[in-house]
Amino acid sequence: MDKTLLWVRTGAAWLVALLIFFPILWLGMTAFKTELQAISVPPKFFFTPTLENFIEVQSRSDYLLYAKNSLITSVASTLLGLLIAAPAAYSMAFFQTRRTKDLLVWMLSTKMMPAVGVLIPVYVVYQQFQLLDTRLGLTIIFTMSNLPIMVWMLYSYFKDIPREILEAARMDGATLYDEFRHVILPLGIGGLASTALLCLVLSWNESFWSLNLSSAKAGTLATLIASYSSPEGLFWAKLSAASLMAIAPIIVFGWFCQKQLVQGLTFGAVK
Amino acid sequence: MSFLQLKNIEKFFGDHRAIKGVDLSIEKGEFIVFVGPSGCGKSTLLRLIAGLETIDGGNLLLDGKDITHAPSSKRDLAMVFQSYALYPHMTVAENMSFALKLAGEDKKVIKEKVEHAAEILNLTRYLERTPKALSGGQRQRVAIGRAIVRAPKVFLFDEPLSNLDAALRVQTRVEIAKLHRELGATTIYVTHDQVEAMTMADRVVVLRDGAIEQVGRPLELYDRPQNRFVAQFIGMPQMNMLPIGEFGSYAESLVRPLPVGGHIGVRPEHVTITNAGEGQLLATVDFVESLGAESLVYATTPHGVQVVSKQSVRSSVRAGDTVSLKFEQDWLHVFDADGQVVSNAKGVAK
Ligand SMILES: Nc1ncnc2c1ncn2[C@@H]1O[C@H](COP(=O)(O)OP(=O)(O)O)[C@@H](O)[C@H]1O
Ligand SMILES: [Mg+2]
Repeated sequence: MDKTLLWVRTGAAWLVALLIFFPILWLGMTAFKTELQAISVPPKFFFTPTLENFIEVQSRSDYLLYAKNSLITSVASTLLGLLIAAPAAYSMAFFQTRRTKDLLVWMLSTKMMPAVGVLIPVYVVYQQFQLLDTRLGLTIIFTMSNLPIMVWMLYSYFKDIPREILEAARMDGATLYDEFRHVILPLGIGGLASTALLCLVLSWNESFWSLNLSSAKAGTLATLIASYSSPEGLFWAKLSAASLMAIAPIIVFGWFCQKQLVQGLTFGAVK
Repeated sequence: MSFLQLKNIEKFFGDHRAIKGVDLSIEKGEFIVFVGPSGCGKSTLLRLIAGLETIDGGNLLLDGKDITHAPSSKRDLAMVFQSYALYPHMTVAENMSFALKLAGEDKKVIKEKVEHAAEILNLTRYLERTPKALSGGQRQRVAIGRAIVRAPKVFLFDEPLSNLDAALRVQTRVEIAKLHRELGATTIYVTHDQVEAMTMADRVVVLRDGAIEQVGRPLELYDRPQNRFVAQFIGMPQMNMLPIGEFGSYAESLVRPLPVGGHIGVRPEHVTITNAGEGQLLATVDFVESLGAESLVYATTPHGVQVVSKQSVRSSVRAGDTVSLKFEQDWLHVFDADGQVVSNAKGVAK
């Protein structure tokens, strides 16, 4: 009886996992097909893989340039975000006022607005400041859109550090810098790492702003993918190859950081 | 001039006036205990001295220097927290040496000081452990160790024993008192437990609602309470407090003029149970607690005031009995309608 239940559960878990994974699997397979095989009906499960698409993508567009842009903008926006979010979260967690909670909710509520609602104003501002199609521009917008989540996450991590430990450090002669360096950093390193990882992934995957604010010079991998779903016709196989190349680094990266990522996504709720 | 001086210290939390103009002078080497009911502002006052809360009014002077607005890190005070607040990511040795390290002390000197403190506190074997791997009592000692390695100007303790079990509490209480005798360091100790206050303090500061009710040596507070609050806060079971009206004409033989609406206070050990006619008040026994060496008789007067009598003989009275209560005339304290003392017991002077 118990054994059957276990089997059913395991089976169900596999089914759900497969369902979620299937699009990525299909993407992976399509990337190694010819364009003809890619659109054949019924779909082909067995075929001779080809690297043609990858070669084609690399020769048509400079993969490394896009990858470099993605890497730079996501790392830079994560660092910039931490630099702003950590002090903000610190003061909210340890010097709480009556309005701190409202402020946090308000910050998070900005994430509920559809980004397209501010596309025009942001675009115009970027145009005026010549930030269009620059890595700096993308870094700034990524930072902005991740900040609410970063502050909220760090806040909930910092709140778990007992205030008295910081006070003890102050009594021991610690300056604000010492406090951060010797107490908050070692105790909050897990939270900081989780937050940084999540932001890295979010920035890497960001497509709305990169598509609208960048193109050839500062374009990220998201724009590379998009360029293959162009009006000249659908190239499923090449689109898949480009997509696979775009997501491969972050999937490998995510695989190694699974634990921290899961921890980060649960916002420190599970210990 | 005093070592630590509080001049008209004020603290507001929003509209709430938590500390109401406290004046206090503390001499070098004194062991001062802040005592009072929960919420009276003991911790707040201690944290104001520590610099962990900002002072909203008045001045704080330490060793002749005004430190009213100095940050905690510059005050050279050490604090032992109720929760111990050890650094969880550091070993015992690192916990104890953190302050010295920040102060840029020489490594060898730090090692010596930490080892010395560990020896005093019986922690030598645990120096390389993290706080997680220690018992409550050991954590407590690390917290104390962290304070003593620094040899600060003043030690501050905020209810350091309240997380320990009863036996350990008594033991640690004795150890802290001993440590104070050996180091001679100026100490301010916060507790809500009057036994701790009475046994450890050179002087006790009784607080209520953010203001000082009385400052004095432990027995002075017991013998000469300046108001009803102190009279009833110090001593277990607490001092009996009877409206003067209860005594009828007998009261007139005690003080003149009689304070209208005042009270007469008498400690349980000065109330005896006698045969009808010999005492001053009749009362009905509610219940009797026999503790072996002594018994406590709880009785209620016809006007509904509860009186406790402490007797060193085993009492033969039972619940429901009507007894006569005899108050020892030399041991009556008289308070006016505002609760301020009119006269303390004459017996003390003898
Ligand atoms: N950070 C704070 N914000 C608002 N009110 C506070 C704060 N700290 C203490 N209080 C209030 O000040 C009063 C004294 O508190 P406290 O000093 O902790 O009392 P005690 O230590 O004597 O139990 C209480 O009424 C408490 O609610
Ligand atoms: Mg307290």
